[in-house]
Amino acid sequence: MTLTFAIGAFGLSALMAGITYFTARQTFLNERQSAEQRQAFANAALVQNALRSPATQVNQLIESVDTLPGSRSVLRTGGQWYATSISVGQSAIPAAERALVLSGTPASQRFILAGSPQLVIGVPLPAVHAAYFEVFSLDELAGTLRQLAFALAAAALVTTIAGAAVGRWASSRALRPLGYLTEAAVAIAGGQLDTRVDAGDDADLEELAAAFNQMTANLQDRIEREARFTSDVSHELRSPLTTLMATVSVLESHRTQLAPRAQSALDLLDGDLRRFTRMVDDLLEISRFDAGSAELSLDEVDPGELVRQSVAASAPVDADGVRGPATFPVYVDPGVEGLRLRVDKRRFERVMANLMENATLYAGGVTKVIVEPQPPAVAYAPIPATAIRVVVEDNGPGIPESERDHLFERFYRGIRAGQRASSQGTGLGLSLVAEHVRLHGGRVWCEEGPGGGTRFVVELPLGPADDGDHPDGEHR
Amino acid sequence: MSRILIVEDDERIRSSMRLALEEEGYAVDGVGSGEEAIDRFASEPYELVLIDLMLPGIDGFEACRTLRRMSTVPVIMVTARSDTHDVVAGLEAGADDYVTKPFVAKELAARIRALLRRSRHEGEASEVLRFGDVEIESDAGVVRRAGEEVHCTRTEFRLLCELANHPGKVLSREQLLERVWGYDYFGDGRLVDVHVRRLRTKVEPDPASPRFILTVRGMGYKLVV
Repeated sequence: MTLTFAIGAFGLSALMAGITYFTARQTFLNERQSAEQRQAFANAALVQNALRSPATQVNQLIESVDTLPGSRSVLRTGGQWYATSISVGQSAIPAAERALVLSGTPASQRFILAGSPQLVIGVPLPAVHAAYFEVFSLDELAGTLRQLAFALAAAALVTTIAGAAVGRWASSRALRPLGYLTEAAVAIAGGQLDTRVDAGDDADLEELAAAFNQMTANLQDRIEREARFTSDVSHELRSPLTTLMATVSVLESHRTQLAPRAQSALDLLDGDLRRFTRMVDDLLEISRFDAGSAELSLDEVDPGELVRQSVAASAPVDADGVRGPATFPVYVDPGVEGLRLRVDKRRFERVMANLMENATLYAGGVTKVIVEPQPPAVAYAPIPATAIRVVVEDNGPGIPESERDHLFERFYRGIRAGQRASSQGTGLGLSLVAEHVRLHGGRVWCEEGPGGGTRFVVELPLGPADDGDHPDGEHR
Repeated sequence: MSRILIVEDDERIRSSMRLALEEEGYAVDGVGSGEEAIDRFASEPYELVLIDLMLPGIDGFEACRTLRRMSTVPVIMVTARSDTHDVVAGLEAGADDYVTKPFVAKELAARIRALLRRSRHEGEASEVLRFGDVEIESDAGVVRRAGEEVHCTRTEFRLLCELANHPGKVLSREQLLERVWGYDYFGDGRLVDVHVRRLRTKVEPDPASPRFILTVRGMGYKLVV
């Protein structure tokens, strides 16, 4: 907009300046030329009269011709050239002009002599077999024209700058509302649904702002209603689930007194009750993300220890409910030593549990977990780590590249449709992984593992070691 | 046999919890409101109270505060939400621990066992720990400040002993959760934070700028003598 105005102003002012200059130049030149023609013809008549008298000394005659300052006379008579000035002789006059005049035609021509513009007017004097030339210097006129050109250029420049300024002002004024709306739309797209546009005292904007705000309010309302519904349903399900879990645990403790068929029924009941509980938990968790009410409860921890503890917490449980050791190695890169990660332990534990469960369900289990700094630590060029990567590897069939981005969508089936173990998994595991990681400002993705399996990579930023004062702990 | 009082307005949950906890070897009574709970608690001895936070009449927070004024009995709150605010508010009302619905009965039983443990230092020789004008008789479970007895809950007392037993040493939230509450690595650090806050109001001359129980940011807490 600013540029358009500037270009427009420049174009117009340049055109105006150009027209003014050339018109002025033409007028000046014409005036000058006719004035000088008059003088040249008058002088030529004088010279002709004088030459009629044989007693006339040509040298004296040429000196006596009354010329304007800056003009010089050149006379050819009797086959000889006479001039008033040494510098302006016959050779100074352009050959074409000389030829034309000597052949009997009066002529005038502008030319450059020693860098300065000149006008020559030639008058043939056939009656005395002579030709009279007068050379006028146009220096003064050129100076005037130069000044004029300079003034016009300056005016054009000022106009252009003023145009740009006006353009800038007009565009900022005209586009400011658009800027507000863009900002607001970006904020809303980023999840800040309580964003509203303030029309201020701009009457033009008022209607648009009102419509925009109404739209956002409706959207917010709808999203909140949806999230609240999920949240309410999950909450309501918790009460009967509490009763069910407590009663099943009573039955479990009397398991040995039950008939074998009743025991099998109890096992089924117990298994699906756990799955149902997980689902309700996951739905409630996801509704908090949707409502934007998910909060981090941060602790500062040793990343290696965090991963080891998370892995241990999801290790298989034996018949007595005692957790066994993990079935795969956890490799902690030495570069991680001494680093402290600010993390919500509960959420991280869920991330690891879901990734391990995913590997168990679809890829025969985790083969290795790696904890490493990012960028990787190298002995010869120590770069401070900015993030921690936790890599979960499996030896499964791998995931085609086209599927990888969709994996983190809710209830995503894709190629895994039909592969899903019927009594496990809620379909929300990986989408929750993504949400938990995102809440930490980190990223998660999956890539092909070295052995053809899959590597899930969780990257969590280390952030500043200490970014605030929480005298009563690091919880927010 | 330890007696437990369950305060829960949903009759089915109350019954099932009673069944499950009786299975774990406790004598359990159930009431449906905060008012009833306070009446019952005033007339009969209980060793632990389980309170649901959402109650008709006076809510669980208020019931908890009232119980706290009457006694140092261990209180576990039962919440449908683990949202930051509910849990912290419940702990500030005086609860020792919390469980979220739906809970696994065995885990609840484990939480109850941890709270009913008399003292970590049971059986150790009687010793008196001191800092400032505070005196802790670990054996008798008595805390005195300037000679006057300070009423601490059992959890506050154990936390204080844990800190006072390691003067000058930083104890992480995980360590305190494990030693005082019997939680593993993933216990809720807010338990420690709120209890430290409560302890400070009892033993610090100026709880807002503590002199003895200090926060070591990013690390945990330490007691300086």
